[in-house]
Amino acid sequence: MTFSGEWITGLTSLVIGCLAGLVMHRSDFCMAGMMRDLFLFRRYTMLKVLMLLVLVNMILTEGFRLYGWIELFPYPAFGPPALSNLLGGALFGFGMVLAGGCVAGTLYKMGSGNVISMFAFIGLLIGSTLYAEFHGAWKAFSDATVFTPGKITLAQLLGVSQGAAVLGALVILGIPVLYWWKTGAFVRRSYAAGYLQPWKAALIIALLVAISVIIIGVPLGITTSYAKFGSWFMSLVLPEHVRELAYFSTMPFRYANPLLEISYSGGPGPGYDGIALIQYPLIFGLVSGGLISSASLGEFRIYFKVPLPQLASGLLGGVLMGLAARMAPSCNIWHLLGGLPILVMQSMLFGIGLLPGAWLGGKFLSGIVLKNN
Amino acid sequence: MEIKEIDMRGQICPSTFITALREINLNKNEIKSETLKLVFITDNRDSTVTIPETAENMGYGTTVTKEEHHYRIEIFAARQ
Repeated sequence: MTFSGEWITGLTSLVIGCLAGLVMHRSDFCMAGMMRDLFLFRRYTMLKVLMLLVLVNMILTEGFRLYGWIELFPYPAFGPPALSNLLGGALFGFGMVLAGGCVAGTLYKMGSGNVISMFAFIGLLIGSTLYAEFHGAWKAFSDATVFTPGKITLAQLLGVSQGAAVLGALVILGIPVLYWWKTGAFVRRSYAAGYLQPWKAALIIALLVAISVIIIGVPLGITTSYAKFGSWFMSLVLPEHVRELAYFSTMPFRYANPLLEISYSGGPGPGYDGIALIQYPLIFGLVSGGLISSASLGEFRIYFKVPLPQLASGLLGGVLMGLAARMAPSCNIWHLLGGLPILVMQSMLFGIGLLPGAWLGGKFLSGIVLKNN
Repeated sequence: MEIKEIDMRGQICPSTFITALREINLNKNEIKSETLKLVFITDNRDSTVTIPETAENMGYGTTVTKEEHHYRIEIFAARQ
């Protein structure tokens, strides 16, 4: 890695994270809520906004790809679809509803002072680290259940060009999105100070993801660094155990960035590498964005008087999300905002898995956690 | 008129909304007869969208005001 390439990578991640955190806080862009409210309250507005985001990112990335600005395609670290994507997505959906936010939601909410999200963050670190204990068995299962070996995107499976596949998806997605746009279905009436309409947030986030792909070569990703941070912490108390766990020696993240003329390599083990360079600034940015947004509105406040079942739910949800993000592999931000717009099949499976998970999570949350609230 | 104030600050999403729905349903007669007003104190910004929207669809009046670090959502009989 070159010095300037490292700086540009880190700064890009930091700025994107900060802007995304700010925008998400202002618009209540909670992806856990989008899925949960679909089943719990039959509210679809935010899910429609998510479809808008996917559609806009699809147009942007395909345009940039055709223009030659995106050279690495499909993006590095995506693979062929497997049963593990579906199961990981389901567990992730369950966990994010219990935690009250996904991996990105947990960060911007933590930045705004939310104690439950702080517990969810600790849970994420625990869950991501725990995965290392059974990585070998899960990896074998995942490899054995690959549906389409060697084929990552829908276009590759169908044997058509990426442009043709995207065009088909645009027609299917575009018709309802245009209808919702014309009928004002994206607009929410809010009394919150400094509120940013979620459809505007969707446009900004779609652009931020595209910028990340152009400059760094990959969409937004967070969760490998949770395992990395966990392994670093574990190495302080159980260094021998960290060395024994094969997962912490893997380096699944490896590619050359032609724009910045540098190569990244990294994995979940402790120590500075490409994962730390890209993901740590993104995490720091997301937390900072939530903090800056809430503080500038005078809304930053830490309320410690939270019912114990809710704290336990946050922690458990974080653990499950952390586990699921390693099993899937990766999280909703990576798959829904990065993989889905370029029709990566493992991202589609992850998204399908999220739905039953979120449904069950909503049942658990309303029936057990909040029963005696 | 009696005022029932419920402090939901710091709670998990969607605790505020679920509690609001439960309280509205439990106290619908008192609210409609204008003997009770529900007040929810919350730091959950999303509740300023969901609670008024739902309560108004159920035929109640609502107001939302920002107070220092949080929001105050009032639910009362629509005629008030």
